[in-house]
Amino acid sequence: MRVEVLRGRSIVSGRRRGLALVSRKPISFLGGVDPNSGLIIERDHDLKSECMKGRILCFPSGHGSTVGSYVLYSLAKKGLGPKAIINQTADPVVVAGAIIAEIPMIDQVDILQIETGDDVEVDGEKGFVKILKKKEDKKEK
Amino acid sequence: MHLTSEEEKIFNGEFGWAYQVSMRILVRLGELFGATQLIPIESAHISGVSYKTLGDAPIDFFESLVEAGGKVQVPSTVNPSSFDPEYLAKRFPEDYLKKQLHVVDLYEKMGIKPTLTCTPYYLRQPKLGCHLAWSESSAVIYANSVLGSWTNREGGPSALAAALIGKTPNYGVHKAENREANVLIEVKSTLRDETDFGALGIHVGKLLKNEIPVFEGLSRCTKDDLKQLGAGLASSGMTTMFHYQKKSIKEKLETVFVEADDIKNTIENLSTSFERSDLIFIGCPHCSLREIQRVAQALKGKKVKKGNELWICTSSHVRETAEKYVNIIKEADGHVLCNTCAVVTWIKKLGIDTMMTNSAKTAYYAPTLNEVDVTLASMTKCIEESCK
Repeated sequence: MRVEVLRGRSIVSGRRRGLALVSRKPISFLGGVDPNSGLIIERDHDLKSECMKGRILCFPSGHGSTVGSYVLYSLAKKGLGPKAIINQTADPVVVAGAIIAEIPMIDQVDILQIETGDDVEVDGEKGFVKILKKKEDKKEK
Repeated sequence: MHLTSEEEKIFNGEFGWAYQVSMRILVRLGELFGATQLIPIESAHISGVSYKTLGDAPIDFFESLVEAGGKVQVPSTVNPSSFDPEYLAKRFPEDYLKKQLHVVDLYEKMGIKPTLTCTPYYLRQPKLGCHLAWSESSAVIYANSVLGSWTNREGGPSALAAALIGKTPNYGVHKAENREANVLIEVKSTLRDETDFGALGIHVGKLLKNEIPVFEGLSRCTKDDLKQLGAGLASSGMTTMFHYQKKSIKEKLETVFVEADDIKNTIENLSTSFERSDLIFIGCPHCSLREIQRVAQALKGKKVKKGNELWICTSSHVRETAEKYVNIIKEADGHVLCNTCAVVTWIKKLGIDTMMTNSAKTAYYAPTLNEVDVTLASMTKCIEESCK
């Protein structure tokens, strides 16, 4: 498969490779994510009961209380945070959270091109993400 | 964004992690919103104190900041906590109190005054035209609209970062051109009391996106009324400031009419119960001296009926200056609580299922944040009800 590169904007530098966990809905870190497990607990969320630990977390934007930034820090400190964050449009809650938690982050990425289970590599410094292996490719093997 | 050489050094970590991480927050957010530089601030006001609202999430981060030697560079104040030192402190598990005291202690170690109020402007009024980095949406809108100081609507983390650096990025309402009114709200109804003002805020806040409204037709408006108007606007919407003087209208603006029915319907819709209230709560945002005086006048010679619970919430600063009135309220068996309010404490755990309040902001939030039913009515009616 051809390696697909999606360009975006650098927010927090750092390079991380991992499996994507993609949501079509905004995430509220305060109230929507369990800080003791990394599970998404928001009612009616498309990632409900999914764990963000070690994943490349892709979602359109953050929303909700600004305390959400501290939740990201707490998750990262316990080793429960995502490996990297890809947003469609960065918002202050997630930006501040990714900075203090030192989670590589980019935004202005068309996240519709990424699917849960894709093997992706994020370059937070240069602001792009490489889709190394689509989930389907994996199934064929 | 253009950084000075000193700011650059802070950004690169030469002054330690606490300042580096703060500078990174300010610069990235500044870039996000099109700021070109950082500007000095006169003060910071930081939300994110109540253990009820926060849980354990920020403790790790605050501990790391303290460990790294982070100290605020400008006078900084904080929002209310989840209990007052006298009345509520005795009624919650020790574990809660310990955690709450720990959060406040960490803020203090960073050099922040434990003011524990959402109305820091009663302690120290910011100067006209000076730049601030405040969070707490009701204080932000009051500062911009009534006090004439300039602050964006910060979140807890960005206000804390600004406090540690003493600067904020120059975007949004830090620029004069972004402070002009761009929608006219013509109020066709006579507003009777502070609750009507709050309801007007909730109603209009829902209609606006990022516009700055100018109100026309406000028949009376004390600063306390404007405080309720702003608190309402900032609760149901993302409004940062409003104008209430005709001279602010510089050109023909798109006009929104507000009729008497809009106010009436808003108050009715915010009320989820018309039964007897377990708690009657005044003080969202925290009471001014004048408001405490009004409560005392209404309560003089009366008694809160046995079985009723009346809370008047304010800052410890205002409470100290209002001793005479506080004594009258106490004699009437009302409780004057400082450092907290009904929304940021565990009222449900105290067996409270229904609450009456004069604050449209509280009525807007309490059904979800506190899981209680609410009746919205004026201060006069609230006091009458408490004595019935």
